Amino acid sequence: MSDTPEQLYNFALIDEDSKREVRRQLLKAIALPGHQIPFASRDLPIARGWGTGGLQITMAIITGDDILKVIDQGDDESVNAVNLRRLLQRTTGIQTTVNTKAATIIQTRHRIPEEMMTRDQILVLQVPMVDPLRWVEPNLERATVMHGESDYGRMWVYMYESVVKAGDLRIATQYPVIVDGRYMMDTTPIPRWDIPKLHMAETLFLFGAGREKRIYAVPPYTTVEPLQFEDYRFKTEYIPGQKCQRCGAEDTFLTSHFVVDTQHANGGHWVSSCSDSSYCDKRIDANLTIQEANS
Amino acid sequence: MKTHTPNWVIHVENLSKQYGAGCAHCHKYTGPLHGNSQCPICNSVYACVNANFTLHEGEVLGIVGESGSGKSTLLQMVNLATRPDSGHIWYREPREQDADIVDLPAMNAYAARVFRNDRLGIVYQRPELGLNMRFTVGGNVAEKLLLANWRHVGNIRERIKELMIQTELPPERIDDEPHTFSGGMLQRVQIAKALSSNPSLLLLDEVTSGLDLSVQARVLDLIRRIQWEQQMTMLLVSHDLGVIKQLARRTIVMKNGHIVESGLTDQILEDPQHPYTQLLVSSAL
Repeated sequence: MSDTPEQLYNFALIDEDSKREVRRQLLKAIALPGHQIPFASRDLPIARGWGTGGLQITMAIITGDDILKVIDQGDDESVNAVNLRRLLQRTTGIQTTVNTKAATIIQTRHRIPEEMMTRDQILVLQVPMVDPLRWVEPNLERATVMHGESDYGRMWVYMYESVVKAGDLRIATQYPVIVDGRYMMDTTPIPRWDIPKLHMAETLFLFGAGREKRIYAVPPYTTVEPLQFEDYRFKTEYIPGQKCQRCGAEDTFLTSHFVVDTQHANGGHWVSSCSDSSYCDKRIDANLTIQEANS
Repeated sequence: MKTHTPNWVIHVENLSKQYGAGCAHCHKYTGPLHGNSQCPICNSVYACVNANFTLHEGEVLGIVGESGSGKSTLLQMVNLATRPDSGHIWYREPREQDADIVDLPAMNAYAARVFRNDRLGIVYQRPELGLNMRFTVGGNVAEKLLLANWRHVGNIRERIKELMIQTELPPERIDDEPHTFSGGMLQRVQIAKALSSNPSLLLLDEVTSGLDLSVQARVLDLIRRIQWEQQMTMLLVSHDLGVIKQLARRTIVMKNGHIVESGLTDQILEDPQHPYTQLLVSSAL
């Protein structure tokens, strides 16, 4: 056995008892879709709020045969994604990938991959704020009672107020949904674009909040319905004519970034590209040049 | 001649609520005879002891008593916000001859929440208890409608405006925030919210306390008009005999957690039997 420092740790860093505790809470979360289950969040070599909840779930379920993909805001190469991937790779020695289809476990923040996931895959989401009722009931104890009694009237008033004040359902992120017709769930800061992907999906979705010490889940083939009114329907983000500047995709969630161009009057210009970088690369690799895409 | 006897809506039977474990000496030191509801040995508080009364369809029943007599605890038990230690609150749906009789405290939390939203309406003395000050007036009134699965914003706003007109509020202020309203208007907003689900029982907890006399009179007129028009069954808690006299047909008097006297309001005011009621009436007049 090699005596490199990484291998002096347990497989996937945290001890087996802790992993077993997380797995027990995961089973409970899967049995009660959308219900928040408390768990004993461990200290990790990253700060709370940087993905410790998702990381602990991944560490608890990962095996030597798994292929891991870690993304942050849809990007495989962002600093957070690279650091988390390196930590998991060094403490497990498992294979990592950027290919969504090849991964068995995907840990993510803020996005669900564009490519349709299958029943053999698990998506682990890092969650900053667990409770959708936090906006209307800051007292955790009272919010817990409200969940217990399905007392979501105040959250509906929050939606009504959104319509009255903004003229439409203007909730950009953390859009509330009802899971399996019972519990109201926060969808984490995924964009509205990704919310339909949770509904009746083949994949198991696990949500972990390390700072708030809560786990919840959406099992495969579970209904996930966004809150909406008959005259004000839930809508995903879409700007007519939107297109990725790299691959030309018109049906993906786009991010904007500024490209410096000294010839340009404003010193550059904004361009849109796919938020899911590996999907974008895959489209380009499939002999689809930028020129072809743009034409 | 055939007379119609109205059915009862609420029948309270041996309802009790205490805070604290109690001890062997409690009965010796608590109750109206001792002028105390807290046991000096174990500090247990007897908020309500063996309360019995019946509330009929379309009737206004007043509960009067000094502060700490247990009237609000009794009201909160009927509102299903406080769980009694023992006893029953039987409920029968009004205007239904063969309605099922339900024991309210035996309901599970979910059923209790649905019942509270559909069948009960409550108006508190302090508007911040009944309203969410961060939402608009329309949003506050809409809460019960939304809980009852109203999912069309246009229809909801129409219903809110109807209720605002009914409770003498200007409907054009539907999107204003509650802190821009006066105390009397906030009480009317609470009444509009309570009426939004067409409840079978309206609970009024010191609704006019803290309002000046002219505003108090307008709120009382509004309640009286609603009661008359809708034949609404009401349970009214007040320490003000003037309010009780104006609204309630029957009254029960509470002291130290016990009901010490009950009967027709006129009878109680004109010929009080219990020494405490006599004191209450003489100090009010």
